Amino acid sequence: MSAVREPAGAPADRCAPGKPLYGEILEFLYREAALLDNNEFAAWVELCAEDIHYVMPVRTTQFRARGAGFEQVSFFDENINSLRTRVARLQTESAWAETPPSRTRHFLTNVLVTGTDRPDEFAVAANFLVTRTRAEQAYQMFAGRREDLLRRVAPSEYRIARRRILVDQTVITSANLSVLF
Amino acid sequence: MANERVSGKAAQMGTRLASGEDLEHIVRPEEGLISRRIFADPEVYERELEGIFGRAWFFIGHESEIPERGDIVARQCGVDPVILVRDQAGVVRAFLNSCRHRGMRLCRTDRDNATTLRCPYHGWAYSISGELLAASSEHHYGPGELDKSQLGLIPVTRLGSYRGLVFGSWDPAAPSLEEWLGDMRWYMDIIFGRTGEIEFVGVPQIWDVECCWKIATDNFTDNFHVYWTHQSLVELGLLPSDPDFASHGHMVTLNNGHILHFVQGPPMEAFQGLGLPKSLWPRFKEHLNPAQAQIAQAHGYSAGTMWPNFHWLQLVTTGDTKSEPVGILNLRLEIPLSPTRTRMYSWFAIDKAAPADYRKISYETYVRCFGPSGIFDQDDMENWEECTATARGPAAKRYALHHKMGIGRSPDATWPGPGTSYADSYGEMTQRAWYAEWLRRMRHPAHAPGAVQRPRARVAS
Repeated sequence: MSAVREPAGAPADRCAPGKPLYGEILEFLYREAALLDNNEFAAWVELCAEDIHYVMPVRTTQFRARGAGFEQVSFFDENINSLRTRVARLQTESAWAETPPSRTRHFLTNVLVTGTDRPDEFAVAANFLVTRTRAEQAYQMFAGRREDLLRRVAPSEYRIARRRILVDQTVITSANLSVLF
Repeated sequence: MANERVSGKAAQMGTRLASGEDLEHIVRPEEGLISRRIFADPEVYERELEGIFGRAWFFIGHESEIPERGDIVARQCGVDPVILVRDQAGVVRAFLNSCRHRGMRLCRTDRDNATTLRCPYHGWAYSISGELLAASSEHHYGPGELDKSQLGLIPVTRLGSYRGLVFGSWDPAAPSLEEWLGDMRWYMDIIFGRTGEIEFVGVPQIWDVECCWKIATDNFTDNFHVYWTHQSLVELGLLPSDPDFASHGHMVTLNNGHILHFVQGPPMEAFQGLGLPKSLWPRFKEHLNPAQAQIAQAHGYSAGTMWPNFHWLQLVTTGDTKSEPVGILNLRLEIPLSPTRTRMYSWFAIDKAAPADYRKISYETYVRCFGPSGIFDQDDMENWEECTATARGPAAKRYALHHKMGIGRSPDATWPGPGTSYADSYGEMTQRAWYAEWLRRMRHPAHAPGAVQRPRARVAS
């Protein structure tokens, strides 16, 4: 996999709001989020690249000098087969954690797009807020930063080649993580 | 009749609730009847805090989580926050995570490596061996006002370890850890010693579930639920389509409420040897006695509960529809936060002797199948929350849950291990034994551990 530069990299690599590429990527992210919120998981998983690595590391509380606290152990550590299995599970009528289904909203802000060593791949970072409610339950909220590597496969079409979900919570205040990020 | 037991001794021992009901009457494990009242009731919960969480032995952490001198992890012992440390001499110790002065939390990160801990409130500083080294502005204390020799960190009253698993108890009168575990050690040897040493990998996943801790605990030795709760995985072909597939094994009940299962799994090589790679199977005979080695060799699954709230899950499964089944060792702990809210801990562990490729696929399969995102666990937590939610009302509390399966079944005398064993691992003997121990504990209110000063407990390193 190509090295991904951080969004704070050289200005020449950044793709600012207002540029056509930025708008194209933003529109892709919004379409992707809508698929998740509309329970169109089969269509969503089609947006994942065959070589995707989808990971949500466990976070611990650490002193500033020791870094942000993202650990080697994860809440998600997925490849394309395991994501397809999760999606297939959601399409059964016996995945009780999502049957009847949750109602989710995926909010994305602070989107930063940066070029990489490869002309067709872009590092895309965004803040996310995912709200979830089901049955009569109060809202559960998941907030954090998402670091994606998006691969442009056709005009306005991308595949998610990497997704790191950097959640703010060290203790997940939800019975389960049966939703996707 | 159950209500004969309500009178006399039971009432004197304090099992009567403010409502007039008596726990002896509403929790009848030998009849398989467990009242819904005990799952969402503040009064029962308050009694559990003293009667169980002030008295039993609790898992704190594994020695492999603090490999270096100065390593610290913040944990719980029962419901009290503690730090588990390896001090500068290499000794494993555990202390209440609270300054002796005002009680401020001392270690405020999840893990660290340090030689001292300084309280943010007034600057009292402790060595990680627990000695109070300094209080700031000490010259303001008059003679005798600050006896540092008496103000070390509060040690976990009793501390012990077995096969690297560190347990603590706040009860000075508790039996030794060895005595408490009793015959459970024979089975723990199979899980934690089958190929040599086990190590915990990284930090635990931690998440909060709106459920009674007992509802979760009840689930861990319940094989009967596997086919229906995890029906989605049957539909996808990740689990066998035979509703009885998880019943082909033995369940065992032991003294002190410890309970477990060993289940064969489908007749495939992947489901022998606890799902471990074939290259490790010869080690069973080196590290276990012949009966233990035979159990390890012949079974795929095992679940065990070290009473009350620490569990192993030894499983063979796959995290996706394209992969071959692989062994997983998952350790679980439930810490109640309220009558109806529980903090879950889940660790991945592995044999130190395991080859690198197995280590990787076992870990990935664990993450995909277990913990909050796990395609197995997700649906369990749904059950726990809803079973708790429906137990809150006054009407529900009048009715018992049903734990009668196998109540008339005879033990299997041919089982080679200790304890009372039953062939067929669909049955509720394990849960009945668990509730019997719960009831026994609730009869005897705790001592007042805060009043007791004991020499610091040590674990040999």
